[in-house]
Amino acid sequence: MNEFSILLPIIIPLVGAMLVIIVRRLGGMKEGAALLATIFSLVTAIMLYGRELNYSLPWAGFGMEFTLRLYHFSAFILLAVSVFAFLITLYCCSFMRGKSYGVWFYFYLLISAAMVNGAVLADNLILMLFFWEGLLVTLFGMIAIGGKEAFKAATKAFIIIGICDLCMMFGIALTGYLAGTMTISKISMSPGSLGSVAFIFLMIGAISKAGSMPFHSWIPDAAVNAPLPFMAFLPASLEKLLGIYFLARISLDMFKLDVNSWLSILLMVIGSITILAAVMMALIQKDYKKLLSYHAISQVGYMVLGIGTCLPVGIVGGLFHMINHALYKSCLFLTGGSVEKQAGTTSLDKLGGLALKMPITFICFLVAAASISGVPPFNGFFSKELVYEGALQRGAIFYLAAVLGSFFTAASFLKLGHSAFLGKVSDANKNVKEAAPAMLLPMIVIALICILFGVYNHFPLSNFIKPILGEQRLAGHEFAINTTLIVITVVVLTGALLHHLFAVKITGSGLKSADYIRYAPVFRGIYNRAENKYFDPYDIGLKIVNVITKTAWRIDRAVDWIYEGLTVRAVYLFSNGIRSAHTGNYSLYIVWSLLGAVLVLIVIMKSV
Amino acid sequence: MLLLIVFVPLTGAFTLPIAGRVSDRLRNLLALGFVLISLVLTAAISMPVFSGETVTSAAIFNNVYNFVLYADGLAVFMAFVSALISAIIIFYSFGYISHYENQNEYYLMVVLFFGGMMGLVFSGNLIFLYLFWEITAITSWRLIGFFREKQHVLRADKAFMVTMFGSVLMLVGFISIYQQTGSFELAAIKSALGTGHLSNLAAALILAGILSKSATLPLHTWLPDAGVAPSPVTALLHAALLVKIGVYVFARLFVATFTVDEFWHTAVPVIAAVSALVSAGAAMVDTDLKRIIAYSTVSQIGFIFLGLSIGNEIGVAGALLYIMMHGLAKGGLFLCAGIVEQNTKIKDITKLGGLIKTMPITAVSFLLCAFSVMGIPPFGGFFSKYMVIAGAVQSGHLWISLTFLVGAFLTIIYLLRVFNMVFLGEVRFAGVKEGSAVMVISVAVLAVLSLAGGILIYWPCQFVLSTIQQLPGIVK
Repeated sequence: MNEFSILLPIIIPLVGAMLVIIVRRLGGMKEGAALLATIFSLVTAIMLYGRELNYSLPWAGFGMEFTLRLYHFSAFILLAVSVFAFLITLYCCSFMRGKSYGVWFYFYLLISAAMVNGAVLADNLILMLFFWEGLLVTLFGMIAIGGKEAFKAATKAFIIIGICDLCMMFGIALTGYLAGTMTISKISMSPGSLGSVAFIFLMIGAISKAGSMPFHSWIPDAAVNAPLPFMAFLPASLEKLLGIYFLARISLDMFKLDVNSWLSILLMVIGSITILAAVMMALIQKDYKKLLSYHAISQVGYMVLGIGTCLPVGIVGGLFHMINHALYKSCLFLTGGSVEKQAGTTSLDKLGGLALKMPITFICFLVAAASISGVPPFNGFFSKELVYEGALQRGAIFYLAAVLGSFFTAASFLKLGHSAFLGKVSDANKNVKEAAPAMLLPMIVIALICILFGVYNHFPLSNFIKPILGEQRLAGHEFAINTTLIVITVVVLTGALLHHLFAVKITGSGLKSADYIRYAPVFRGIYNRAENKYFDPYDIGLKIVNVITKTAWRIDRAVDWIYEGLTVRAVYLFSNGIRSAHTGNYSLYIVWSLLGAVLVLIVIMKSV
Repeated sequence: MLLLIVFVPLTGAFTLPIAGRVSDRLRNLLALGFVLISLVLTAAISMPVFSGETVTSAAIFNNVYNFVLYADGLAVFMAFVSALISAIIIFYSFGYISHYENQNEYYLMVVLFFGGMMGLVFSGNLIFLYLFWEITAITSWRLIGFFREKQHVLRADKAFMVTMFGSVLMLVGFISIYQQTGSFELAAIKSALGTGHLSNLAAALILAGILSKSATLPLHTWLPDAGVAPSPVTALLHAALLVKIGVYVFARLFVATFTVDEFWHTAVPVIAAVSALVSAGAAMVDTDLKRIIAYSTVSQIGFIFLGLSIGNEIGVAGALLYIMMHGLAKGGLFLCAGIVEQNTKIKDITKLGGLIKTMPITAVSFLLCAFSVMGIPPFGGFFSKYMVIAGAVQSGHLWISLTFLVGAFLTIIYLLRVFNMVFLGEVRFAGVKEGSAVMVISVAVLAVLSLAGGILIYWPCQFVLSTIQQLPGIVK
């Protein structure tokens, strides 16, 4: 393998995408082409794993170099991306059958995979931004093909992410200027005053890609309209991987954040708020996909919190949570997809009792739900414990936010599982069957990995995660999990279960188990406003934009009035004045002539 | 060679009405041919120019009004970009203008305009620069009022008078340069000034001319009003050539020839920032398709001025790249708007909708061009926008670059708004057809060029790099 092989993760999906377009008219060939491309890139990612490669091409100049670097961290993300791309393509082979937009979905999916791979491999900030921001186009496309109204969600997503990417562009320009280089691996500075500004702009880019608050509000909208595998592919897995990857790069390598920095506190606050606010919204959702999408936001909070602690244990926890989340969340969305495909709806009040009809889907759901709730011994438990540990060391309040988040996560998944899979089968769902094997296989594989990463958590931790920080940073840190914390977690989870049973007993239905929170005195008002999008940063932003543009429009009209109104009036005034001096009256003209002659005389006298 | 580039279209334009009497097809092909000749010849002289020579051809009159044509990297770059886009726009006109009266006049004016542009680009003497400047003003006056409705003619008058007001001030500025240096010839002025500054008065007067031509606040409102012109004309005037004249003369005089007072390196970016923001806001509010795109041009011109006026290497390079990428993409947007307008007879975006079903190629081309204007990779606009912003950051104008960042936000929002309202949503019409093949091909070519310009960024950047290496006055 020579150094060109580093280009393969970018080229193979691109070629695959072209192939999909070329063979789209031949029946079944497009799935084959897409699968082939993802299998090839999976194989290359495995081959590349553990290598260190550098590659450089002349590019645009002015500090913009086409420089790629493969090392431990990027190889790991590359591997994860390839696994997800392959499994989701496999899933789509069955899910997309009979849908007219299938071709374009594969096309965008492969291009997105290439872009993500490129962004991860890039060792030049501009090259990274090139791939990173390029995802906007495929994101827009993937959401917009979902249906007639989907373009509204697509527009929202495009505007939010686009603005954040522009912020990142500014941050990159500033970082490159401060550091004197655009090469990521050469940048290493402590955030000074301007450096902090640069960091914040880069951070906006990173956490908006990961879907953290306050840049989250497109995700629930997209969940309703976009094709479901899109949710499993971008917001649940690839964008999280990419966003958290870059957040880790900027806060670990490019800017040396330490525990005393106010930026660290900022990150932890963002993380905590995201965890709590999003999970509270998730709790009251009545749609399978929408509920999951709020969890896709909430869980980012743990990663941001973990990395924000700036302690090795928290960072390891955050990064481990990144990969765990990508696993269980994509698995959850895929179960949602098979429910949608088989039962024809994802509205929770129409579902129920599917556990016996779709047993494999149900088991996969159980595993993934247990993981996301942090039930031992599944993978989510271990990463959350590490984050707790880090958070507790930085302040009890952050720990509290994280644990409370877990409580509500567990509660909302009990609600979801109960109302979708347990309870009575409604008449409409009498004939529902288990999903096709091509859809089950990806779910089973991911669920198995969830269990493996939980039971043998030392394997991913010491092989994938810890090398990212390196021996030096880890020296002297033990990762034995605190027994007290485990006890608290177990108590909290048991509490969630009891709470659910209690609530079901009162309300008589799994679906309504959270309703008493929804309609509790203070919460009712907040929830009503939230559901009417009072708190949506996007809508607030658009209102601000409206004010700015109205003002700008007035200024523009005022300027135009200078030409259309003022000048015209001035000219009329002037010419009327002149006209009234030319009436045709002889004596008046003689006066004018005499006055002129006097003036000429004066000038001549003066010059003499 | 230079003489040919300028005078083939300039004199050739007058043969077009005669050719039109013989056959329409002959006239159309001749018009395209004249532009292509300029394009090919420009490409031909770019070889020696980029190897470091400069090409000059001069006619001596009386040492004050010497007719000098002068080609350096900047001129060749500008001429090449203009000729390329003009050729595509004239090709598009074959389809568009064939529905209307007075075609002979149309082609005469367009090619004459193009010739004036070429003359201006290669001009080495301020007086002749002014002369060509006014040729473009007169022809654009006629082209804006081409449909002869009263409202249209008034708008044309407005455009002419605002730009004329500016150019007269500029002429006074030129005269004051003559008083300071004793020459109208750029080369002579350069050596006479030496390391000294141009007087601030002259700089301000010339700037007024430039801003009026490039439609920058507060001299910009003629540009959206001029959207009543036939669509290929708006593309030609608003996107590709006319508004770029001011920018080019700015680069030619303030970057390549004179050094100006430090004051202007802050003043011009501030004007540009206000202009970019105000017009972006206006683009959000307006509902006329072509006016929105025109406001967007005013806004994007602000970015070009920013890059040129901060004067560091990456900023100037970004601005030149911007001229190219914006010309391609914005030209594409106007031509798409032309197809929509011609087939639906409606310009109000609130009354349009769902056109992607009936005119898919136009819709996709519009979207691709819009992506490029927004600055989304892998389109060409991404690189130019980044380089301009990076240049502003490097020069220490943090607040100004943040203002431009807001301008860039608004760009995304209003272009997406236009696309959604025109092409997506409910289908409001039955029986709307896709534009004619010639028109659809032209917009598709522009969209593909915008995309290719980004993916194959190596070549455009090399082009720009060799251009700016010949420019003095760039802060390294």
